[in-house]
Amino acid sequence: MTGAVPESEALHARARAFVDAFERGTAMPEPFDVLAVDLARFQAAHVEGYARLLAARGVNVQALRRASDAPAVPTDAFKLARVATFDPSLAAVVFRTSGTTLGARGSHEMRTTATYDAAALALGRWALAVAGQSPASVLVLAPSAEEAPDSSLSHMFALFARAFGGGEAAGPSPFFVKAGDLRADELRVRIGALAPARPALVLGTSFAFVHLLEALNDAELPLPPGSRVVHTGGFKGRAREVEPDALRAAVARAFAVDPRAVVAEYGMTELSSQFYEATLVDASAGHGTFVEPPWARVVPLDPETLAPVEEGETGIARIEDLMNVDSAFAVLAADRVRRVEGGFELLGRAPGAPPRGCSIALDELLGREGS
Amino acid sequence: MSPVPDAVRIDRVRRFVEAVARGGRDRPRHLAAIARETGLSLEGVELALSRYLEADAGGDEIGRLMERAGRAPAVLVILSANVFTGALRALALACACAPEVVVRPSRRESTFARALVEAADDAALRLAADVDVGGWPRGEVHVYGRDETLSVLRRRAATGVVVRGYGSGISVGVVSPGADLAEAARGFAEDVVVFDQRGCLSPRIGLVQGGEDRTRAFGEELHAALERAAASTPRGVLADDERSLARRYEETVGFAGCLWSAPDHIVGAARIGSPLLLPPTGRHVHLAACSDVEAMRGLLAPFESQLVALGSDDPGRYAVLAHRARLSRLGEMQRPPLDGPVDLRG
Repeated sequence: MTGAVPESEALHARARAFVDAFERGTAMPEPFDVLAVDLARFQAAHVEGYARLLAARGVNVQALRRASDAPAVPTDAFKLARVATFDPSLAAVVFRTSGTTLGARGSHEMRTTATYDAAALALGRWALAVAGQSPASVLVLAPSAEEAPDSSLSHMFALFARAFGGGEAAGPSPFFVKAGDLRADELRVRIGALAPARPALVLGTSFAFVHLLEALNDAELPLPPGSRVVHTGGFKGRAREVEPDALRAAVARAFAVDPRAVVAEYGMTELSSQFYEATLVDASAGHGTFVEPPWARVVPLDPETLAPVEEGETGIARIEDLMNVDSAFAVLAADRVRRVEGGFELLGRAPGAPPRGCSIALDELLGREGS
Repeated sequence: MSPVPDAVRIDRVRRFVEAVARGGRDRPRHLAAIARETGLSLEGVELALSRYLEADAGGDEIGRLMERAGRAPAVLVILSANVFTGALRALALACACAPEVVVRPSRRESTFARALVEAADDAALRLAADVDVGGWPRGEVHVYGRDETLSVLRRRAATGVVVRGYGSGISVGVVSPGADLAEAARGFAEDVVVFDQRGCLSPRIGLVQGGEDRTRAFGEELHAALERAAASTPRGVLADDERSLARRYEETVGFAGCLWSAPDHIVGAARIGSPLLLPPTGRHVHLAACSDVEAMRGLLAPFESQLVALGSDDPGRYAVLAHRARLSRLGEMQRPPLDGPVDLRG
């Protein structure tokens, strides 16, 4: 399978060209479907399971013209089989899903994280409005990448801490979940010592913020003006659920930031792209609407026929991600979504799908769910 | 109040079961209503009533039921809607436990429970469709349903009332190295087809001792056996969720292994070494090849706390995997004659 590497490299370069164009504000280098179809052919040639799925659907990948005609790989398949175009010995990193009560965890191997990193940083810079700003004080309510080397979220947060925090490698650790504990007191001390002229960027899972708010017990931790907060992951399927509006209001109050500066992110281990609420960069954007970058799109499907639903109807998410060069360019999630003006809404897990996500993993780590 | 003597309790349960057996002759009256409520085909309801109603329990079975029943002054039984004939076992257990029994049938599925109470003609056994758990004053509440429902009802019960919950579970069929694959598949299919696999005694996972070739051969046999079974007992109507989950399972196994699909069932097999994937209900079976019992134990470990039944062509060989689950031969997993509560996990 090492023979696939040059072809993979060329596809990675084409994928990163989308990111470059986005950052420069220029037109995309090629139509979405052209690269998507080439990814489908590459993955069919090197991922046995994908070739089987295409055959089962009667899809001739050589005759494929539209990405939407190629089947998506269900997220459950990442638990049962390897979804990778390369030999396991070439894996630079293996990200794993948080798992469920029935144990099995999905794996997403990457031969290189260069494309993932470029896309995550470009979209993060835009959605969090950090482009052209001086470095922020980054605070992370999640374990470090060293402590959770198989967490794609910790990888991304570490990336953000380095890139948006001005490369504070020698400074204190920005991570405030250590050995399964949320270090609320340490966070309180750190925030108290922040320079008032330097905005902070607080990153964490939704459940981590819930735990922090409980630990604060209505006390406030005011951040410097211009600070932003990013939370990711949801609560659906858990004994304790917190409405997104209520969480946002509580977080905004606790950190003394504008509620529009509290932004939700949606991503998953099986993808290489993320989606954000655009409230920091678009005055007309509302909370609850996630925006796609030009290299990814989300299509709601009828869960039984797997055909796109009518405009405005709810379906399960088919996510096409041009950054997923070496795995599956189209992933069938178990999340329910609906297209709306400017993006899509996330409406929770499909019935019968186990709850999952980094937020829930952290909640289990912190050990107080359902108490 | 002095306790009711055992002989009286046994006699009451025996009379109840006999009355139900006599009432079974009147079943054409209820077939259509039960099919409408359960989503099973008419043939599926007929199969359940003719072969899986536990009204032929004998003295030994009733004796075992009594041992497990405990004692209480009164029992409120809250029934679920998954396996309609399960109401018989639930009511027999309650009658063995307490002189006064009140039954709250499932809102979706009440015909069979009503018919049972009617057939029993027992003044101390009555229906109450709207009784509230929080207002139940004494004795026990026996709840059959989803784990989430059990948790909610446990919290709502009055102080001093014991809530016994019988929740969801998972069952597994195991094929030994010496099995006649066609015979094992026939038994396996019987356990799958009845109630369209909605009961916790229906195996949704099959472990085949041997390699991938043997597992594929068993998959072929099981596919054929399920097709034959569907010809005589068609699957009923699946709920939207069940159809969606089935499609997702089909896509997943289509990617990760091999698949035998028909209008009324899906059989899937992942590659050896893959973790188990629990398919949705609706006559779907996920197969896994296992080199030995230890490999089976490893695969089942995440499911251990939910395992309620294990069937095999050679049950003794796999007893070590069953823990507190029921152990039986393939083809008999759905036929526990009044085997107390199915869920023995406490």
